[in-house]
Amino acid sequence: MRRRSRATALASALLCAAACGNSPYPGADDAAKVRYGALPEPPKTLDPAVSYSTLDHAVFSNAYDTLLEYHYLKRPYELIPGIAEAVPEPRELPGGRVAYRFRLRPDLLFADDPAFALSGRDGGRRVEASDVAFELMRIADPAVASPVFETLAKIEGLREFSDRLAALRDADPDFRARRIDEQYAAAGPISGVRVPEPLELEIVLSEPYPQILYWFAMVFTAPVPWEAVAYYDGQEGRDLFKDHPVGSGPFRIARYEPESRIALERNPTWYGVRHPEWKAPGATYPSEGEPGDAAMGRLDPAYVGRPLPFVERIELLVEKEDIATFNKFLQGYYDASGIPRESFDTLVHEGALSPEMAAQGMRLEKGVQPSIDYLGFNMNDPVVGAPAGERGRMLRQAMSLAIDSREFTRVFANGRGVPAQSPLPPGIFGYDETYRNPFREPDLERARALLREAGYPDGIDPATGRPLRLSFDAQDTSSRGMLSALFFTNAWKRLGLDVEIAATDYNQFQAKVRRGAYQIFQWAWIADYPDPENLLFLLWGPMSASNGGGPNSANFANARYDELFLEMKNRPNDARRKELIREMRELLERERPWIELIHREAYTLYQPWLRNVKPAELSQPTAKYVDLDAEQRARLRRERNEPILWPAWVLAVAAVGLLVPAVRTWLRERQ
Amino acid sequence: MLAYLIRRTAYGFVTVLGVLALLFALFFLYATPQDIARRAVGEKAPPEVLQRWISNHGYDRPRVWNPGNFGDTLLADHFRRMLSFDFGRSDADDTPIVDRLRRGVGPSLCVTLPLFAAGLVIGVGLSLLVAYFRETYIDRMGVVLCVLGMSVSILLYIIGGQYLFGKLLRWFPLSGFDPDPLLIPRFLAIPWLVGLFAGLGGEVRFYRTVFLEETGRDYVRTARAKGCGDARIMTRHVLRNALIPILTQVVVAIPFLFTGAILTESFFSIPGLGSITVDAIHANDFATLRVMVYIGSLAFVAGQIATDVSYTLVDPRVRLE
Repeated sequence: MRRRSRATALASALLCAAACGNSPYPGADDAAKVRYGALPEPPKTLDPAVSYSTLDHAVFSNAYDTLLEYHYLKRPYELIPGIAEAVPEPRELPGGRVAYRFRLRPDLLFADDPAFALSGRDGGRRVEASDVAFELMRIADPAVASPVFETLAKIEGLREFSDRLAALRDADPDFRARRIDEQYAAAGPISGVRVPEPLELEIVLSEPYPQILYWFAMVFTAPVPWEAVAYYDGQEGRDLFKDHPVGSGPFRIARYEPESRIALERNPTWYGVRHPEWKAPGATYPSEGEPGDAAMGRLDPAYVGRPLPFVERIELLVEKEDIATFNKFLQGYYDASGIPRESFDTLVHEGALSPEMAAQGMRLEKGVQPSIDYLGFNMNDPVVGAPAGERGRMLRQAMSLAIDSREFTRVFANGRGVPAQSPLPPGIFGYDETYRNPFREPDLERARALLREAGYPDGIDPATGRPLRLSFDAQDTSSRGMLSALFFTNAWKRLGLDVEIAATDYNQFQAKVRRGAYQIFQWAWIADYPDPENLLFLLWGPMSASNGGGPNSANFANARYDELFLEMKNRPNDARRKELIREMRELLERERPWIELIHREAYTLYQPWLRNVKPAELSQPTAKYVDLDAEQRARLRRERNEPILWPAWVLAVAAVGLLVPAVRTWLRERQ
Repeated sequence: MLAYLIRRTAYGFVTVLGVLALLFALFFLYATPQDIARRAVGEKAPPEVLQRWISNHGYDRPRVWNPGNFGDTLLADHFRRMLSFDFGRSDADDTPIVDRLRRGVGPSLCVTLPLFAAGLVIGVGLSLLVAYFRETYIDRMGVVLCVLGMSVSILLYIIGGQYLFGKLLRWFPLSGFDPDPLLIPRFLAIPWLVGLFAGLGGEVRFYRTVFLEETGRDYVRTARAKGCGDARIMTRHVLRNALIPILTQVVVAIPFLFTGAILTESFFSIPGLGSITVDAIHANDFATLRVMVYIGSLAFVAGQIATDVSYTLVDPRVRLE
């Protein structure tokens, strides 16, 4: 008996040595405040001037500080000072130019890095305004190919600097080999970026653009030390700068294996850690939020006013398959997760978490993204566009009345989305919760009446005697994309219209747009910053896609709309701005260049041990605000992952049982 | 032998050139630089920025014909780079592709090498067993299990393996990888088990047929007549004589151990070369993808030549001329 139990114990120990349960973090310290997250694919670049991807930002934006930041809790979004002492006010200059003057906090340090040996320092160095100016030069550098160059070219002299730099490089091949700071110095300063004092930065815009401040809350304009860009050139075993960010943020990259595992650790030289007495808004847990934050535990007195950050380390693992990711989340190995499409119906019932998930203490948070999915008409088209006059308008209105956004959201997005009434999503100034667009509730009777009035009774084109034939350019040629195209064309078929689906890829569509050879299309836009200008400019005449290559793919051109837009875009968020937006909305309601579909909604699941989480719809670093209860996590992980060992014994016995007759046969044959 | 090898290598070289020409047609004539640039720079980047990216990466050069400078075309550059193994940088993120290959080959070998070795030993062992017990319940059951194993897609094994061992029994992590040699078995236990199971069916069926064919031959009857035991006949005589067909299957697979297992690596998030291929597909990273296909074709040609050579090693009757 004793021998058997000893054998069992030995076998169990062997099995355990091999397995030791399903934890993907063997040897990790359970008591440490480490956040665990999954990335669906490896990040592409950690270069703040280049990356425009939410995934990349999730990795590196916490390693940088920006001059301004968004308030963590307040909605609509509100700018607060980051490493700048205050949010600057615009100062008007002659010639319609505008200046903003930022003053940086003193005693900010870059994280320690060997790159600073280039300037004769051992460790980090102080952050100065010239580091922001340097980053703006990088954005203008043609070799960097920053995606935001065109937008930031409103800064006076940015384009000229870019041209000068390109000319110098073309003229002298050796110039390119010079150190980056020397190259930039030779190309001269940007006239609209001045550094009157080491901690003062003045930005001059060639035209009013109040939204520029939002760009200073994005990581594109974070201070970057020239030493890091010069040092990390990929030569002699050194990393590339895109793989080795050097910033002044609350975390720094501790391990970077882009294909598998990335770790960030708390930056001991961050100003929030070194100067908690400053109570800087970007380094202190906020005391105010939007209604509901207190009820969700996001204004816990235990946290309000405390210096950030709370966690010590962030571990991000590249996890390509969402089934595995989600199962590991359920096991407790990830702190947050999206909801895989296939599991949606079992996890969420009528917008709330299933009782089983709720019983595990999981929390579901929803956040409407500042985005708009829409169907657009080519307003230059003779049938559906402006040339068709009143007839075309009524056709567009009728087609708008046939599309049921609610049904679309239910079928294609598991109900995750707010049916759109206008281009403006919730959380953006000018969004009116009570507004109902009369052409955005499905009403087939009214649509048919409009078609009759437009001269297309029952959808019949009198010129041909057949259903009016239109074409819908579907860019998503996947089966799912084609299904959604069918959803629309079938809806229009009910009006008697014959809308044909033309499957085109992105480039073909772009070519069609340039030629003006398209009628109806589907498109989406996610705002870069929380301002109505960033959505309403999509319908501004001068942005027309066919006439100027801009993002106004509908080629909507309406003199009154353009006039209202110009007045609205530079105004502060006041009553007049609201009034202007209301008038623009009414104009769009009548003209129908778009059929607004949905504002997308993200559902995120959080583990019970996370504290202070709030989904961020904009790409902003939030890791410093979040805390976790490591003890609770360790306990729940143990409970959820106790290995079940008895099947191993059953298998072993079955294998032996199966082989015994074979061995007996063999022995018999030998005899 | 040497002449044969030279001739065979020359054939292989022509094949590889053909693959390179096809790759060029696929990746340069079909896909446009705008496609690549848009994925690399981001959906929202204006046309000017895309153009900058395209010229920075040299995709604005003439594709096939440049009357001014024949060598300065995308075609010439493509052949030059591939044949000199100077693969350049990834389209998606400018990482030197060689660095990525170097990082990926280790994890790939961790998956494929033990799997290959265990698959071979267990596969041959099991097929000897079922061949020895031919026409008994073991043989019949083996056949049923093998056919079952062959018929089920590896995808199902992967998902089933993750569910059973990772989620239900909680023996091993569902996915992940750690280069620490002590932790490799823990992370790769499910991929190994799954790979073994998925590959075993076909292998055992094949080897069993080979062994059964051999056991019917005269030398086996002679050996038996001389009083040689069955087990000895199977391991000493049958196994040795069945090596040629086994080698055909085995040696050709060896070079592919380096290129990794696309599905397994992707599902288990193992940062190997298979996984790199999947990432490249997702990211429109044609530069990396071209290299991966090229390496695959080299592996194939190398495998073919190695198989031919291995014949002469196991069978003195085979002469390569």
